[in-house]
Amino acid sequence: MKRDHGDTCNGAYGGGGSGAPKGESLSSSIPASGKAKMVMWGEDGQDPCGGGGGGMDELLAALGYKVRSSDMADVAQKLEQLEMVMGTAQEDGISHLSYDTVHYNPSDLSSWVQSMLSELNPPPQQLAHPVLAPAESSSTVTQHHHSHTGSQSQTQTQSQVIFNDDSESTRPVVLVDMQEAGVRLVHTLMACAEAVQQENLKLADALVKHIGLLAVSQNGAMRKVATYFAEALARRIYRIYPHDGGLDSSCSNDILQMHFYETCPYLKFAHFTANQAILEAFANASRVHVIDFGLKQGMQWPALMQALALRPGGPPAFRLTGIGPPQPDNTDALQRVGWKLAQLADTIGVEFEFRGFVANSLADLEPAMLDIRPPEVETVAVNSVFELHRLLTRSGAIDKVLSSIKAMRPKIVTMVEQEADHNGPVFVDRFTEALHYYSSLFDSLEGSGVTSPSQDLVMSEMYLGRQICNVVACEGPDRVERHETLAQWQARMGSAGFDPVHLGSNAFKQASMLLALFAGGEGYRVEENNGCLMLGWHTRPLIATSAWQLAATQ
Amino acid sequence: MAGSNEVNLSESKMVVPLNMWVLISNFKLKYNLLRRPDGTFNRHLAEFLDRKVPANANPVDGIFSFDVIIDRATNLLCRIYRPAFTEEPQPSLSDLEKPVDAEFVPVIVFFHGGSFAHSSTNSAIYDTLCRRLVGICKAIVVSVNYRRAPENRCPCAYDDGWSALKWVSSRSWLQSKIDSKVHIFLAGDSSGGNIVHSVALRAAEAEIEVSGNILLNPMFSGEERTESEKKLDGKYFVGLRDRDWYWRAFLPEGENRDHPACNPFGPRGKSLEGIKFPKSLVVVAGLDLIQDWQLAYAKGLEKAGQKVKLLFLEQATIGFYLLPNNDHFYTVMDEISSFVNPDG
Repeated sequence: MKRDHGDTCNGAYGGGGSGAPKGESLSSSIPASGKAKMVMWGEDGQDPCGGGGGGMDELLAALGYKVRSSDMADVAQKLEQLEMVMGTAQEDGISHLSYDTVHYNPSDLSSWVQSMLSELNPPPQQLAHPVLAPAESSSTVTQHHHSHTGSQSQTQTQSQVIFNDDSESTRPVVLVDMQEAGVRLVHTLMACAEAVQQENLKLADALVKHIGLLAVSQNGAMRKVATYFAEALARRIYRIYPHDGGLDSSCSNDILQMHFYETCPYLKFAHFTANQAILEAFANASRVHVIDFGLKQGMQWPALMQALALRPGGPPAFRLTGIGPPQPDNTDALQRVGWKLAQLADTIGVEFEFRGFVANSLADLEPAMLDIRPPEVETVAVNSVFELHRLLTRSGAIDKVLSSIKAMRPKIVTMVEQEADHNGPVFVDRFTEALHYYSSLFDSLEGSGVTSPSQDLVMSEMYLGRQICNVVACEGPDRVERHETLAQWQARMGSAGFDPVHLGSNAFKQASMLLALFAGGEGYRVEENNGCLMLGWHTRPLIATSAWQLAATQ
Repeated sequence: MAGSNEVNLSESKMVVPLNMWVLISNFKLKYNLLRRPDGTFNRHLAEFLDRKVPANANPVDGIFSFDVIIDRATNLLCRIYRPAFTEEPQPSLSDLEKPVDAEFVPVIVFFHGGSFAHSSTNSAIYDTLCRRLVGICKAIVVSVNYRRAPENRCPCAYDDGWSALKWVSSRSWLQSKIDSKVHIFLAGDSSGGNIVHSVALRAAEAEIEVSGNILLNPMFSGEERTESEKKLDGKYFVGLRDRDWYWRAFLPEGENRDHPACNPFGPRGKSLEGIKFPKSLVVVAGLDLIQDWQLAYAKGLEKAGQKVKLLFLEQATIGFYLLPNNDHFYTVMDEISSFVNPDG
């Protein structure tokens, strides 16, 4: 009956899980980091349903569902209950489960089933049935969210404690059908990176020039990406490192980012999803305080303020603390933004207070400086969009900042980061990762329906080009674009004493609908991943929004 | 009502491993939420709930994958799975489409299931299945992300399948060294199996050579209610009500289930006699309520003088191939491996 299929399963893949010994098997979030091992029926006498006692069922983990083997029977029973209740509710309709209910973290199957059961009050004649015990949490959506999160946080924290930085990572690639010349171009780029890594600068120099020639024969995204990468390689070879992120400082990064904001949905998605989480955290609060780690032009806040203004029962008092770097021309950029937001607040009837803080690095911040009021008085949200990865430049900086955040006692911390591993130690690997990543980004710009030549498009490309240059040409304190993946950030946040706050199907849906407004929106996709939302181009996730709260034990 | 439901639930629990029961029941209940009585589909919730995985150009267990937009105009995407190269642990971007090195490599063009409405190429269940196919069959797998119902009705999925077939057959890097030809097999489960048939038919008419068809629990039906449908309705995860919904969502408006896309050997079907149709492997699960239609399909091929091998798995339910913890999985994988390799 049991067949020995050691051979046939050698090449077979199990996405989640790891090669950890029995009893300690764990699942990782998808996209997976680390090698997977498939559980073979009969192999090592292992239980066919999973990795033993406290471990996750590896087979289901590979398919995206985290269920402990020891919970399997219980989950099965709950599914049966749910089916029965759904079946008998057919007359009244279960449509509200589809339309109104907010779903969270589908990978946690046990919690999902439990939340569905709680949503559907069993009809009176079923109460006598021994299987249908009354649900422990209330059936309303809002309350359910918080207790739901609590139980899930526990699961998440446990898996994160064991979660390590793995040397193996996922390399998602989406190619647009390439012609022969495109293949040669990529080949030459890779060869050049190799030569640079081996410090064969003569060869690297020759290749970089060749890339320039090949790039000209290409069209669209491929040509632009290749050109930026070639330039970055040249800078690295000739050691012409731009200092402090400005290739051409006459064009401020803030301005470039504004054009990027207009051309494609990434920043809008980031702001939108972060604001969703903040709004939910601010429900019922009468005084709220947002600490924005990178105020820039303050583009995230009008929408939040308007949503607060529309709150049934009236808006809370809204305080915004904006942090930003010193300006080269010594102007008070922060105050200007604060002033504009104050004017908006005035027109929409929101009590508003603003404070700006200039800092070279977030690590220079001391929470005491921010005059944060106690939780009984104000509800705090800390927001960071594409800022935290810069702290990975200096050892200890990120830990200091995470400690500072904890000291601010926020109700919620919202974080948006690039979904990429651009901080590995090996240059060629970093180069390859970046090539894949920015190719997808440029591709999406190409499909954005913005007709070339357009200033918006060119500026957006420059914005990305600067990042490419930084990733490829710079090292040490100059290299600030140290992007890391969601999985890596999740591990870091978990270790630092934060629990996840899950973004749900309502945020997902609205984010998806937002994308449809962009021309060429068809290529953009929102994906749910362990309670976080990611925006990608086709099947390649490019940015990730996650939300956090202080761990229960803090 | 509640009583008979209880009996049904325990029956299905007895024939599959517990974790498989949990997996398929989970899909069943979630899918119930997504189908609306008015024929519309909650696509946003569907995408939220679906567990997806990205492609991975780093080999895992000896297999790597990458996605290709094969048609920019329609955004048609395929995920390609290849065995890792022995010389390089990590294929570089330019090596992803490196020419095949073996004398003979079967290229399996795969259409995922989901009753035409659910799942995608990057759904975890199908990414995992495709990887298993690569490992077991020593094949290259091209998984097609065809457009789904109800937003895109018949023949959109078939058109996408056809585009993918043309693309695959024209890739020189997929040619086997022995004869510089691309050896294509079409494979699919559920709705994917249905797509296999239509694409193969089109290929035969256009004289593109397809070496074989693999239909795993293929989705066919007809207006008539068959014995198996009456007997097994609602007993093993699937009921007639949901089957009917999916056909109404996929078939052109106003059509019924005798439409040839649904019922290829029915009253409106086209004769396959004399057509150079590929050999077929048809896998039927004995606890699948639509088995009578699947058996009729195999019979229909036979009667038209086509080569067909029927694999009937008595105690198998739908979805048995999603997890490797049952006998049926291995039986089928072995059969598929023999089917696509020259001596099979």
